[in-house]
Amino acid sequence: MINYIFRRIGYMMVTLAIIAVLGYLIVELPPGSYLEFEIARLRQQGGNVSQDQIKALEIRYGLNDPTYVRFFKWITGFVRGDFGESFQYRQEVKDLIGQRLAFTISISVFSLLLAWGIAVPVGVYSATHRNTIPDYIITVIQFLGLSIPSFLVALVLMVVAQRVFGQQVGGLFSDEFQNAPWSFARFIDLLKHLWIPIVVIAFGSTAGLSRIMRANLLDVLGMQYVQTARSKGLKENKVIWKHAVKNAMHPLIMILGGSLPGIISGETVVAIVMNIPTVGPMYFNAQLNQDLYLAATFLMFLSILGVLGNLLADIALAWVDPRIRFE
Amino acid sequence: MNQSSESTTKSVFEGEDTIIKVRDLHTYFYTDLGISRALNGVNLEIPRGKVMGVVGESGCGKSVTALSIMRMVAKPGKIVQGDITFFRKDKKKNDAIEEINLTKLEGMGPEMRSIRGAQMSMIFQEPMTSLNPSYTIGDQIMEAIILHQNVDKVEAERRAVEILDGVGMANPSLIVKRYPHELSGGMRQRAMISLALSCTPAVLFADEPTTALDVTTEAQILDLMRDLQKRIDMSIVFITHNLGVVAQMCDYVTVMYLGRVVEQATIDDTFYNPMHPYTSSLLRSIPHVGSHQKDRLKPIRGVVPDPYSKVKGCPFHPRCDKAMRGLCDVKVPGLTVVGKSHTVRCFLHSDVEEESTYVQ
Repeated sequence: MINYIFRRIGYMMVTLAIIAVLGYLIVELPPGSYLEFEIARLRQQGGNVSQDQIKALEIRYGLNDPTYVRFFKWITGFVRGDFGESFQYRQEVKDLIGQRLAFTISISVFSLLLAWGIAVPVGVYSATHRNTIPDYIITVIQFLGLSIPSFLVALVLMVVAQRVFGQQVGGLFSDEFQNAPWSFARFIDLLKHLWIPIVVIAFGSTAGLSRIMRANLLDVLGMQYVQTARSKGLKENKVIWKHAVKNAMHPLIMILGGSLPGIISGETVVAIVMNIPTVGPMYFNAQLNQDLYLAATFLMFLSILGVLGNLLADIALAWVDPRIRFE
Repeated sequence: MNQSSESTTKSVFEGEDTIIKVRDLHTYFYTDLGISRALNGVNLEIPRGKVMGVVGESGCGKSVTALSIMRMVAKPGKIVQGDITFFRKDKKKNDAIEEINLTKLEGMGPEMRSIRGAQMSMIFQEPMTSLNPSYTIGDQIMEAIILHQNVDKVEAERRAVEILDGVGMANPSLIVKRYPHELSGGMRQRAMISLALSCTPAVLFADEPTTALDVTTEAQILDLMRDLQKRIDMSIVFITHNLGVVAQMCDYVTVMYLGRVVEQATIDDTFYNPMHPYTSSLLRSIPHVGSHQKDRLKPIRGVVPDPYSKVKGCPFHPRCDKAMRGLCDVKVPGLTVVGKSHTVRCFLHSDVEEESTYVQ
């Protein structure tokens, strides 16, 4: 098992190296560069940009170097924790991301927990009460969850929160707390704002996850070993949760592994709609404006989370199912 | 059936003590296709400490009978009528016999659960799928022991190893740490038998336990079961459609057809003096050692009617060579004692009639 993990980490490194090259190339691929935007902007403002200034900027950003030289400068810096500088914000990428990452991760982790916390019991309930009225009701809600796009749910919830609860919506803090130092009141204010994005993000994935849970559990409930468990005289709850659910978890674990990159990118649409300062919208804008290092850094983080998620999922699977434990 | 359900344990099998008595049992499945009448008034007795074979074609209700007695029929299935009486012998109280009506208990309730696994247990047909792939053999056996015998984990594991040793498993102390997928089919069936016997049950239902095994392994498992049955002094209900296995294993035979018992007899009577035409046809359809090469096997003509429809009269009459017009296709014969330890449900041997047994 230890060997297997080390081997997998080796493969991960190779995968990431390939992604780094491809990712960097793709981000750079569209014609033009951020510098051209910048020069055009300065000229528009009436400023006369001299050739010397342009030269100075080109040297500063290393735009005269061939692509591979720039790539190596960036990637060697990346490994050492120096992600380069954002053109747009004229700040270190590291500092830019750091500010927003805490919010992003807390929103994503909470919505992930909420989605799982609801999806698993609901899926189990509707599988064990198949074709009863509660199951039908759950099914209808699930299909609504699957088919309504998240930005719409966000808009509806925002309206409801404002009209019914009189809450200020959008952003993470009310005006009076926006720049205030941390206090308990500010924390409560944060929670008041946070629940909408968490519910919105959890909504869609809960529906999908509980559908999968229901389908898998139905398969497993038909297995002979479930009857064996009953024939021992176990309580029905124990038969379901200990003997059936454990064998129905595989697809959910694989999905959980795959959803790790979603911690960064998943809430983008919702965050844009609700004007929340997470990393999603920033990544989106970085791509739009060809903010090379910012975009490439995001891409690398997403990829790292992606391969890491898959590794964790495989380890978790092996823990759940002895049949796929590796030598 | 007008026979009163006397509360003695006196059996229709002479000299035997009844451990389970089933009266007029109806188990129906309410499916989208309609009502599947799996059991239509099953009457049978299981003798204590003996092996009883239950034979019949696929779909005749053999497995559902066992599941009904174990009270493990799950939705959309339901026991709609009938009584199952369990005569529980309490070794602590001087072998006093306690009578429990299992149909009155809740299937998943505490009383039934304390009986299931401890007093009666079950082995299934597919050893490959009847053990949970996620837990070790030891864990699965110990779970039953801890549940019913009030012992700690260490003692439970010691007993699990002892039981595995008792079923002829090599290296039992290693096997307890193994997962089902690491064992062969025969080993898994031995593990399953250990699990079923872990609490020394009074009745063991074996639902075609050797069908999925090769003949060598089958012979070993059958020997083992016979041997264990004598050692523990339990009753085995051996469900099979293999009459060869019945001849080898059983003391008594129950023949079922379309959700009813049509004949119950000793092993000798079943093979040498079968009374129900269905039993005789079953016997004619299997090859015998010493029969002439030119003799053809006689299959039973026709097919089993589907369990969704109701058959008027004796359910076997459409396929019976001896069916009597105006009698067999109109009236339902009742199960009657026709000889020593021999009951049959056929107008050829008695004129006892039974009212239509379908429950609405």
